[in-house]
Amino acid sequence: MADTRVKQPKGVKLDHISKIYKDPKTGKDFYAVHDVDLTIEPGTFVTLLGPSGCGKTTTLRMIAGFESPDEGEIYLGGEPINALTPNKRDTAMVFQSYALFPHYNVFDNVAYGLRLRKVPKDEIKRRVTDILALVELSGMEQRMTNQLSGGQQQRVALARALVVEPGVLLFDEPLSNLDAKLRVQMRTEIRRIQQKLGITAIYVTHDQSEAMSISDNIILMKGGVIAQMGSPMEIYYHPNSEFVADFIGECNFLKGPVSSVGAGEATVKIAGVDVPVATDKRVSLGEEGEIVLRPEAITIADRGMLPCRVELSCFMGSYQNYHVRVGDTLVKITDNCPINKEIFDVGDNAYISFDKNCAHLL
Amino acid sequence: MQRTVRRKGGLDPSMIYKVFGAVLFIYLFLGFMVLPCLNTLTSIFTTRDAAGNLDPMAVIRFFFAGNMPSFVINSLKLAVCLVITVNVVGISIVLLTEYFDIKGAKILRLGYMTTLIYSGVALVTGYQFLYDSNGMLTQWLVRLFPAMNRQWFSGFNAVLFTMTFACTSNHALFLRNAIRGIDYNTVEAARNMGAKPFKVLFKVVMPTLLPTLFSLTVMTFITGLCAMSAPTLLGYNSINPEIVRMAGSSVADEAFPQARAALLSMILALFTIVLLTALNHYERKGHYLSVSKTKAKLVKQKIQNPVWNVVAHAYAYILFLIYMTPVVMIVLFSFQNWPAIRAKSLNVSDWTLINFFGTQDYSYTTSRGKQRIREGVISGVFSNADTVGGIRLSFVLSALAAALTCVIVVIAVNYIFKHRGKKRGGLVEACLLFPWLLPTILICYSYRIFFNSDVWYVLGKNLYYRENVRFLIVMAYTVVKLPFALRMVKAAFYAIDDELEDAARNLGASQLVTFLRVKLPIVLPSVLAVFALNFNALFTEYDMSATFHSSYGKSYAMVIQSMTAEEGRDGYNMNGSGRRCASTVFIMLVSGLILYLVYGVGARDLGERLERRKKRREFFARLTGRKQKTA
Repeated sequence: MADTRVKQPKGVKLDHISKIYKDPKTGKDFYAVHDVDLTIEPGTFVTLLGPSGCGKTTTLRMIAGFESPDEGEIYLGGEPINALTPNKRDTAMVFQSYALFPHYNVFDNVAYGLRLRKVPKDEIKRRVTDILALVELSGMEQRMTNQLSGGQQQRVALARALVVEPGVLLFDEPLSNLDAKLRVQMRTEIRRIQQKLGITAIYVTHDQSEAMSISDNIILMKGGVIAQMGSPMEIYYHPNSEFVADFIGECNFLKGPVSSVGAGEATVKIAGVDVPVATDKRVSLGEEGEIVLRPEAITIADRGMLPCRVELSCFMGSYQNYHVRVGDTLVKITDNCPINKEIFDVGDNAYISFDKNCAHLL
Repeated sequence: MQRTVRRKGGLDPSMIYKVFGAVLFIYLFLGFMVLPCLNTLTSIFTTRDAAGNLDPMAVIRFFFAGNMPSFVINSLKLAVCLVITVNVVGISIVLLTEYFDIKGAKILRLGYMTTLIYSGVALVTGYQFLYDSNGMLTQWLVRLFPAMNRQWFSGFNAVLFTMTFACTSNHALFLRNAIRGIDYNTVEAARNMGAKPFKVLFKVVMPTLLPTLFSLTVMTFITGLCAMSAPTLLGYNSINPEIVRMAGSSVADEAFPQARAALLSMILALFTIVLLTALNHYERKGHYLSVSKTKAKLVKQKIQNPVWNVVAHAYAYILFLIYMTPVVMIVLFSFQNWPAIRAKSLNVSDWTLINFFGTQDYSYTTSRGKQRIREGVISGVFSNADTVGGIRLSFVLSALAAALTCVIVVIAVNYIFKHRGKKRGGLVEACLLFPWLLPTILICYSYRIFFNSDVWYVLGKNLYYRENVRFLIVMAYTVVKLPFALRMVKAAFYAIDDELEDAARNLGASQLVTFLRVKLPIVLPSVLAVFALNFNALFTEYDMSATFHSSYGKSYAMVIQSMTAEEGRDGYNMNGSGRRCASTVFIMLVSGLILYLVYGVGARDLGERLERRKKRREFFARLTGRKQKTA
């Protein structure tokens, strides 16, 4: 079995970096990335997440050296790297299109970086064999890249990046070209290999489920700035804005005035009912409060917290999907494992309830 | 916030390369494109009268007073007629083989496509061989129609007839692709709504072909306007042959010939620029692209009316005969001996390879009745010193020019892609496309005149003098082929995934290593294809060779032309017709091989090539009885 270890994972520090582009239509400058300031600890798996055009790929490309920051400094393992060209940086990247060299076979693709580093032939052979074993591609060394499936091409790209033992491994939406099933399989593989090697990884994606499943930390970006940083659970359950809450999974927003404030708890009046919610946030009485509720955190029954009217009831196999009207607000509910539960039909009156700890006050 | 300093400044080695490259590019562009053409332009307005006074309008006055407009009118007449005849024949051959259900369409297509390998001076001399006053077909026709004019194949008629069939290659390639791209569902939809078959053809199919037809029409018009080999060999007074004639003339023979030639070439350039601008403007509007996600393949339409069906079949096979007869006859006669060729009669007992290899003595009786023998004067293509010399020279010059074109274009396109969207990238591209706007004759004429004196920036040498003319020919070949090569290589560079370059850089490759080991191997098949196509076009190229005509630069095309001279007088040009036929066969083989390598082998994707290689190995393993090594 492969015995591949990274020499020493490196941390990355982005010190207030910005990237300015010129809008081709208006000719005006705009910030693609603005004042991004963050530190990535060695050996962690960090995902840059966000919608198209949020600046995540630009940030990654600045770390790789394909773009130069217009403001700020990037540090790799404590060393400033702004002045270094891409080939001088201790990073390796897995590209969206895999970027496998079509004129080389699998072995030559993987060995490419080692040959440039003038590694002796015997060692190249050993390391390539080891890394191909790690990504489960042993025996395919002589195949041309167009003779491989999408998943196999992805593994070659990963092996090619890993074999040079980079300080930081960069991923630019590497799974976007794979089908859904393979995507799930490959992200598990990537996480397994990253944890096995203990390498620092920075991963770009716009798929929130992908980010949640593989990351130690998620950096959610919007409009070139960081919207929120934190662990997947932190971001999911404690979003700091409507954008973050909405981007990470489905959610409901219930708005109303704060009717009481207690220690670690507040009450918000929704549709004339006082609804308790756990919070550490400082709020004042009468202030407009907004409760974030995940669909799976809500239950529907004959009796409960808030009265509602069912507008959609749809069996989805593993869950029953409801859309209910609470006052003027439409609330989505995911009622898991509905087989032994009462099913409400469209037009039925019912009640929804939720645990105050599962709700989050923005 | 303070902006960071990007990269270190200073004069590093890469900067030296860049400066050297920029200086070389500017030198080549100004020295071999701008200055010679500018000299031609200025020469029109710098003529002097007999007293030595400057008379800028002398040539213009001469133009309107003399017979010069007739050359322009003749060229325009040829271009206009050619547009009509080429489109009629070109559209016919495509519809007959791709749209209508005509029996034997595959064979017909092969016949119609023979002009891809049988063109230029070889085609013109081949047509001459069959259709001139002593031509075999003319003789047959005269036997059938005794009142027929034996000289029918000369002047305008001959040029139009020859060029009509020679210029349908583009239709056979591009219009065919366009018609194959039609979504058959649109045809079915029209039929479904009640349209009759010919209504569908004219209202649904033809309109989608219009953009392609427009491009082909403009290209045909320019071809007609700039025609050279057919008018020269078949005797038609159009612009190009006149320019070449005047370029070799002197003031002792006629009034300021060079300035008049310059004026004619500028008129030609003006027409070309206007037409290409119109074409460019039209192309920018874009072609009709099917938006269908599930495009259906075109199904051939059966002509329901039996009379029309018979007419269409007859028309298809008459065209086939016109295309194929010269090819078949030339091939057959290339294996006939000299007396048989002279008598234009095929005889199985006269089969020989003498037109290709070896020599024969020629015995004849003098006017005094004496029997004389000239030893070895009947010679084949590969045993005739003149012909072999022409082949060798054309081979070397074409290969050099094709290689030089590829080198320049690959480096330039790499630069253009690196500076995409920037002014300098666009500027380099515009410089390389510059020769596209100018007729070939203008460039060659400008070279011939401008470099026919000591020029300081080419080490003070006269490049039209003795062997130097070969360098001049290589430069002219290269310059003329740059735009085509640029378009092809640029398309190949577009196919390179941007991330490949990033990947190589990210893995530690420098820019040079990335170019040499990643980008170049990927575009290499396309570059080799461009090399092969350019070589193929230049190997038998006539127009430029005729302009640079000199005993030190006698290319293969000029040798072939010289084979059309009277045979046998004083032993000169013995077996010229035989060598001409054999040369045509040789050219067809070379062109056929190159086109097969480019479009046959080169068009296969990597998987297909590997599959074929595997099959080949298996076949040889079976043949030799050896065990196949498994991968």
